[in-house]
Amino acid sequence: MIVSIAWKNFSRQGIRAILNVLVTALAMVAVVFNLSLYNGFQAQATRNMIRTDVGGGHYQAPGFDILTPTEWEDTTHKVPSALKKLSSAEKAEVLVQQGQLYPNRRLYPVQLRGIDIDQTLLDLPLDGLKKFDAKLGDVIPAVLGVKMAKKAHLKQGDTAVLKWRDRNGVVDARDVRVVDVVTLVNPRVDEGVLWLRLDHLRNMTQRMDEVSWVAVDEHHGNVDGMKFQSVEQLIADILYMIEQDRRYAKIFWVILVFLAGIGVFNTQILNVFKRQKEVGTLMALGMTPGRIVSVFTLEGSMAAFLSVFLALVLGTGLFAWFQSVGLDVSHLAESTIPVQEKVLLEIHPDEVAYSTVIIVAIMILISWLPVRKITRLDPTLALRGRAIT
Amino acid sequence: MDTLVKIEKVVKVYRVGDEDFTALHDISLNIEAGAFMSFVGPSGSGKTTLLNLMGGLDKPTSGNIFFENINLKDLNRTDLAEYRRKNLGFIFQTYNLLPVYSVYENVLFPLLLDGEKESAVRQKVLDLVEKVGLSDQVNKKPAHLSGGQCQRVAIARALVKQPSLILADEPTANLDAENSYQVLELMRDLNRQLKAAFVFSTHDEKVTKYVNREIGLEDGRIIWDKKRDGNGVLE
Repeated sequence: MIVSIAWKNFSRQGIRAILNVLVTALAMVAVVFNLSLYNGFQAQATRNMIRTDVGGGHYQAPGFDILTPTEWEDTTHKVPSALKKLSSAEKAEVLVQQGQLYPNRRLYPVQLRGIDIDQTLLDLPLDGLKKFDAKLGDVIPAVLGVKMAKKAHLKQGDTAVLKWRDRNGVVDARDVRVVDVVTLVNPRVDEGVLWLRLDHLRNMTQRMDEVSWVAVDEHHGNVDGMKFQSVEQLIADILYMIEQDRRYAKIFWVILVFLAGIGVFNTQILNVFKRQKEVGTLMALGMTPGRIVSVFTLEGSMAAFLSVFLALVLGTGLFAWFQSVGLDVSHLAESTIPVQEKVLLEIHPDEVAYSTVIIVAIMILISWLPVRKITRLDPTLALRGRAIT
Repeated sequence: MDTLVKIEKVVKVYRVGDEDFTALHDISLNIEAGAFMSFVGPSGSGKTTLLNLMGGLDKPTSGNIFFENINLKDLNRTDLAEYRRKNLGFIFQTYNLLPVYSVYENVLFPLLLDGEKESAVRQKVLDLVEKVGLSDQVNKKPAHLSGGQCQRVAIARALVKQPSLILADEPTANLDAENSYQVLELMRDLNRQLKAAFVFSTHDEKVTKYVNREIGLEDGRIIWDKKRDGNGVLE
């Protein structure tokens, strides 16, 4: 009986009820959308990092730190036999050295990154280097990422002088020819990086069989002389950066829930205030204060549950459309975030579930809070609409 | 006639700001079952307070009110709600209909509160709506009815459970003369048919022509208690 009374009251409130439900539903959609977008960013950044650089982790030379270029020459290591025997799909040997490029007579410090050209573990568009012999000729073939090419003002077919130091500290120089300019979705393997064949770089630096790290498909146990860095360790800075952004997302989440809550709270206060005479009448007709509170709280709860339903309808449509177009983040091409041009939502059911449960619980709670006043109303004043002023 | 309500030395004091205001002074009277009576007097004389106390909407400061030997003072809020639901019908000056409900639903509502199934009482409700002359308005909401029609709905709602006592607070105050007469005629007919006691509070002189007993109140005191004699004269 109470449910049917509450439903009649709620469904016949008209535009007030509709707006209440709509605002709450939109808040829910916005909350889930916001979280899912960050998930999408994080997932894509992680995927791209893994696909183009990290793989399943790195066995690094002792003391190697990608952020300390001055020590790269001192932190190389022979490839241990345990890693050597892995197939080209299971490992990618990488040697990193410093170099100075002189495009158009300007000095441009670069990272010389030599990679085993037969590896298939990492998804790098370096086919342009395959057609060259292992033996180094007069000109060093190199591949650049689009960003690097743009910053260095180089294009396919251009040559520039490259200087580097071999393992004995002797400086050498030779022409580098840009054989290909490729799109690399991960800025970390693009900006400032000159991609070379590993055999060429080893030859140039006289570091035969040496690597800075070996990217592997998974952890292959402890390897003498090499230190394993997990995926999480290698992308910790990106995850930290995204986690910082997620904090803003959570603040946004709280603000949206707060706004939706205020909407329902306001409606309920207005309900109790405007419907005092109705409350008084219900008391006169013999309804107990507890049952009246139940009716009003149920009305608020119905708004919350209808909001969930509406959010499901609106959200499904919105999310389906969004997945078909994605979010254009081409403006981030200049940043260090490894994302492609479009980011898609990544919906985590647990986040949807807890967001929904929390919002519904808050809606029900704030439906009930103002209605508690009813239990304290003087029926004679309520009948005249003067119990709450 | 059996005594339906017994009011015994009732005093009601309200706190107004820093001062006490005595709305009723030592009121004692009996109301018989099936009565058709009114409390008359100017504003502030205590009429509505007396009805509220009889209806269990308010409690006396001292004294007792018995309904069929039940002392209302002994009832808590939940018991008082049940007392009203089972025994009383209310008619208000401003009708106090539930605005989102139709005529039919307003009349049906007290029965639903009693736990009745709509299908079981549908005909009873429709019959009562017909009795108050609103068959053609049954699906309309109160906002689309005239004052007189609203008061008829309120009367039907008060009577639908066939309570033994109807408390009507200024039922004709918002009605024009013609509607007032119609409503009073209707209540008198229903009083005769259904044997429910009607107690009005009013300062409308038209009511005097209809009631069988009239109690005058002034400053919270009974100043007269007139009953209609065999010749139809109140004295």
